[in-house]
Amino acid sequence: QNSTTLQPLESTIPDSDRFRDSKPLKLTCPSCQHFFPFGGIQSSNNYQITHSGIRCLSCQFVLPPLSVSAQLESFLRTQISQYYAGWLHCDDCGITTRQVSVYGRRCIGISGKAYGCKGIMRYLYSDKALYNQLLYLQSCFDVDKAKKRALKPLYEEFSGDVSADDKENKPSVMSQGELDALVEQNRSLFEVYQGVVDNYLEDCGRRYVDMGGIFGFMSAFEK
Amino acid sequence: MTTTIETQIITRFGPKANETDILKKCGELMNIFGLSAEDLFLKWESYVITTSTVDNELQLSLPSLNKFQEFLQMKLIKSNQKTPSSNAKRPVMRTTPNMNIIPSTPMSSMKKRRLEAPGLRSADTSYTNGGDSSPVAPSPSATPSKQTESGKILETLNAHITPSNSISQAKLKLFANFNPQKYKFRTMNQKLLEVADYLDEQIDATAKVLLNHYKFEASDFGNPNVQSQTEILTVGRIVPDSPLTPYDADLNPNSLFLETSRSGGIGQRVQLNISSIENFSFFPGQIACFKGINSTGEFFKASKSYPIPYLGSPVSSLSDLNTYHQDLAGDNMKVVITSGPYTTQNDLSYDLLSRFVDKMNNEVRPNTLIMFGPFLDVTHPSIQSGNLSFDTDKTPTTLTEVFKFVITPILKRLTCQVILLPSTKDATSKHAAYPQDSFDRKHLGLPKNVKCFPNPATFQLNEVLIGCSNNDIFKDLKDVNGGQKMKQSRFDRVAEHVLEQRRYYPVFPGGLKQKKTKSLIAENDTGVLEHVSGADLHVPYMGLTEFNESLPDVLVIPSELKFFCKIIKNVLIINPGSFVKMNAPGSYCLMNLVPPKVEDLSKADDVDDVYLHNVWKRARVDIIKA
Ligand SMILES: [Zn+2]
Ligand SMILES: [Zn+2]
Repeated sequence: QNSTTLQPLESTIPDSDRFRDSKPLKLTCPSCQHFFPFGGIQSSNNYQITHSGIRCLSCQFVLPPLSVSAQLESFLRTQISQYYAGWLHCDDCGITTRQVSVYGRRCIGISGKAYGCKGIMRYLYSDKALYNQLLYLQSCFDVDKAKKRALKPLYEEFSGDVSADDKENKPSVMSQGELDALVEQNRSLFEVYQGVVDNYLEDCGRRYVDMGGIFGFMSAFEK
Repeated sequence: MTTTIETQIITRFGPKANETDILKKCGELMNIFGLSAEDLFLKWESYVITTSTVDNELQLSLPSLNKFQEFLQMKLIKSNQKTPSSNAKRPVMRTTPNMNIIPSTPMSSMKKRRLEAPGLRSADTSYTNGGDSSPVAPSPSATPSKQTESGKILETLNAHITPSNSISQAKLKLFANFNPQKYKFRTMNQKLLEVADYLDEQIDATAKVLLNHYKFEASDFGNPNVQSQTEILTVGRIVPDSPLTPYDADLNPNSLFLETSRSGGIGQRVQLNISSIENFSFFPGQIACFKGINSTGEFFKASKSYPIPYLGSPVSSLSDLNTYHQDLAGDNMKVVITSGPYTTQNDLSYDLLSRFVDKMNNEVRPNTLIMFGPFLDVTHPSIQSGNLSFDTDKTPTTLTEVFKFVITPILKRLTCQVILLPSTKDATSKHAAYPQDSFDRKHLGLPKNVKCFPNPATFQLNEVLIGCSNNDIFKDLKDVNGGQKMKQSRFDRVAEHVLEQRRYYPVFPGGLKQKKTKSLIAENDTGVLEHVSGADLHVPYMGLTEFNESLPDVLVIPSELKFFCKIIKNVLIINPGSFVKMNAPGSYCLMNLVPPKVEDLSKADDVDDVYLHNVWKRARVDIIKA
């Protein structure tokens, strides 16, 4: 349809930028209820990837595969449902509403009469954001990205003015050897999780419009 | 078990290993590859044997251990390549060093093992609780006293009709009145302009219907937004007077606007004054037709509202009706209807469903069973918190596998014809929008007597036209009403709206469920609204939710509100109630339909030999405790 949505450079954008606005997948440890953000095979103060899966560092319990995939699917579905709630935002008067004018982009305005405000209405949760959210969840279980340390970092790199506390709290970086082994040990398990996301990506209309996106997605599997 | 890793390494590798960097490297390798000191040594030995030459045996050193690590890594990659990913359903839990707490056994025996580890009490309780939700274990909520009530009739419509006790099990003829291909559209790409196109067309299409029905003149229609001296006719959508009105707000007669179509009033909205209309019921999203005047330019004063004419009822030829009669050999047609959830909120036990299946097979023996989702509710607390496990032969690793390994075996036992309709909350449906594509029967391993239909779906069982929609309009439609309408039951008004508007879900914007979460940051905070679920309308395809040419004979729209069965405009309206409600057995619906006899039917047409079905007169409907 609208060819201006094509973004051929999408695939070249690093995950840290591309998924800047994606919401983190948060997992609850079924054993101790510890609730923590999950960012794939990388160092975290909350979890550790072992050869047998994701281990909660609060109680040392290894999350069973079904626990992880169920939480992943539940989170993903909440995102889709939130998208379908269809919240719109006016770029001029700033109202947020779920009502749609018969012209779509026309603002209903605070008067409710659909004239007066010249602003443009847009979905707050765009299909691009949802598509990126799905790709982000997929990347969390992408072991080859983890191997190349190309995942969106859990602990943002600060420029200079980072406090001593934050520096101390940052977990130590994994050695490449450790990382390489964990990648292979978790490959098949993480493919199960990726399969959960893939089922939705297959139904995702945006994937078939946004060619930049689809190539970016495929390039994850090349090399 | 107080031996240190170092001692373990030295015990296996010998005193040569007693060097800081070697000990450190060995410990690292054990960690990385998940090996015990013993395992590491065995692997090292075989590595030494395969790489050493006759005159140069590999020595234990840091460089050789680094090479050893590469070797282990390569083996790992190779073993992955040997196993195609599709087979890798179940990750293997291998023995772990210095992690006594992690079960060293495969998943299935994890529960037993965990009970032996007293150090992890909190973990054990929560995890084994989940494990109790096996399909064989009795559900804790289904207490004996409640079980004895099972089968109790809670409500009956047309009690004078005798239910049939026969076990005819005749197969009903099933015709789908929908094109399944049309539901295969891709989701998650809703375009605002396409939404607007649909909303606009809806007004104009209804205007055409009204024009033809009431024999209006096209010139009688005007723009209600502009001031005029004379009365005009207008068709538009009822909307709230502010864009900030929550969808479920209690509106009042003074807070309504009428939205015009692009052609009817360039999409503008005008305040609606309905003080002259005696009996009314209006809701956001409704298409309505008024006669009235905008004499000041400020508001449109309606003097009369014109309802949208009802569609006709379906008819059948005499020869078809005779065939259906013969097929049933004089027996009643028995149709059972259930609606999810099928488990309590406390656990994911399908025990009650399993017992229900036995009851259907052995006692009730319906011709057809219509089952609405959710079967596996993606908003179920156990799924959201990841605290779930099942005692099955194969351990599910995904929710789709939970359906396949836990629910499918139960449904497979059903001997009658079964129709499944999904819910947008069903974890197994990847098409998480309404209108919704059907379940993938083959993928879920369901047998051929199970038909998977989309949501909504209109179909015919013999002569009976059944309309089914799984989106809770009874909960989501909130109207402003007055006069006689106020005295009616709300369910009656909603059902009338659905029939009049000719679509299964006429509310716009659709329902929304949010929960308030306290923000930890701001004091004095009213809380943040977090999205839970919703009607998930994919508006550009809402055409699939419109009635075709006629009203249905039976309209089934499950609601989480109380079950009911009623007759509105000669349509049998059924809400079977939730199969499990408030953590206890809920209800289901049994319809006994007396076979069509010509003397009981009304002739619809003098020319052709066609007859109205009069299902509302011939059907006994019981709501029964699950
Ligand atoms: Zn924990
Ligand atoms: Zn505006």
